[in-house]
Amino acid sequence: MPNEKLEKFLEWGRLFFQGATDFGRKSRSMLEKEANDEMDNFILVCFADTLGIPLPISYYTLELLPYLAQDLEMWEKRMLNRKSIWGEKWGDYDLDA
Amino acid sequence: MNRIVFIGGKGGVGKTTCSSAFAVYCAKMGKKTLLVSTDPAHSISDLFEREIGLEIVNIRENLDAIEIDAEFESKKYIDSIKKNLKNIVSTVIVEEITRQLDAASISPGSHESAMFDKMMEIINEKEDQYDQIIFDTAPTGHTIRLLSLPELLGSWIDSLLMKRRKAVKLSKMANSQNPESVENDPIVKILTRRKNNMEKARNVMIDDKKLRFIFVLNAEKLPIEETKKAVEILKKYNIPVNELIVNRILPEQMQDDFWKNKKALEKKYLDEISEAFTSQKIIKLPLLQNDMRAQYIEKMAEYFKDVY
Repeated sequence: MPNEKLEKFLEWGRLFFQGATDFGRKSRSMLEKEANDEMDNFILVCFADTLGIPLPISYYTLELLPYLAQDLEMWEKRMLNRKSIWGEKWGDYDLDA
Repeated sequence: MNRIVFIGGKGGVGKTTCSSAFAVYCAKMGKKTLLVSTDPAHSISDLFEREIGLEIVNIRENLDAIEIDAEFESKKYIDSIKKNLKNIVSTVIVEEITRQLDAASISPGSHESAMFDKMMEIINEKEDQYDQIIFDTAPTGHTIRLLSLPELLGSWIDSLLMKRRKAVKLSKMANSQNPESVENDPIVKILTRRKNNMEKARNVMIDDKKLRFIFVLNAEKLPIEETKKAVEILKKYNIPVNELIVNRILPEQMQDDFWKNKKALEKKYLDEISEAFTSQKIIKLPLLQNDMRAQYIEKMAEYFKDVY
């Protein structure tokens, strides 16, 4: 039992120092990226019909429009621009590491 | 006793007449009754010979009625979004979004959704106020789709909520905010409210103590076939059909050869009906000499006496 607790403690400690010394803020940018990806998916499921994909729920997602309006325009542009999408996805792979 | 009754059937078999007669009967029995017409043609105004609008009005003792207009409801919905829009986003974007909203309001399916929304609203809000809510529904196909909608939309909304929660949580974490305050996000709030409404309505719909279906048919080939199919499909959703109304039965004494033949044919189909639908009670309504009008509804209502 104490062994397990010690292990856990050490692991937490390791994570703490990793986070505390992360001056490059890599973790934050990773979180942001993940959040953006998730957000893109969310908008896709809400407003796929603006890209020409029929959606049974589109009537109900209309009321979300006021809150998503700001993002929507950029999202549409990005989604329609295949080059930028590939560039973005390519950026997921950290080739320098 | 079931609170909510859907009256369905093939087009042109007399659903509106039957639902009005049934509503009048329920009201006469002292139940507070609400008759809801979902038919875009709105013939219950004509039937009761008075204006029945988009709001609930009292027709006679214990009987209220409302006609749902999908176009009006979807316009109301879109207008409320537009109003909301002005408070939140900048004027530049309002223009763009307004165009999109207008396009959406005429897109296929939006009327159906609006209709469904209003029906859910009535079920959720009025259920406690009335002893009986009677829906005069559109022809069969629509009705069945209507029942499958909560299931379909429910899972959509679930996945939307999941995604949104995750996105908000991640971005809050990235900005060193408390990730636990996800529920304050306006989008999560809207979706949760919708989910709750839908779940409430679905619970009513799958509760066979609350919801009942009555099918109207004529003693003719096509309505019989369609009713058979509908009963099968409803069984899949665990909604039993306990009553059938056979409308427009010909009178007994027929002189003319043409009508004698008709009557014989009718008898054959009536036998087929009682063979095919053994677990349902069958209510027979006669063919009237006159047009169905307010003064005859009482007469029609009498025929429901055997059943309740």
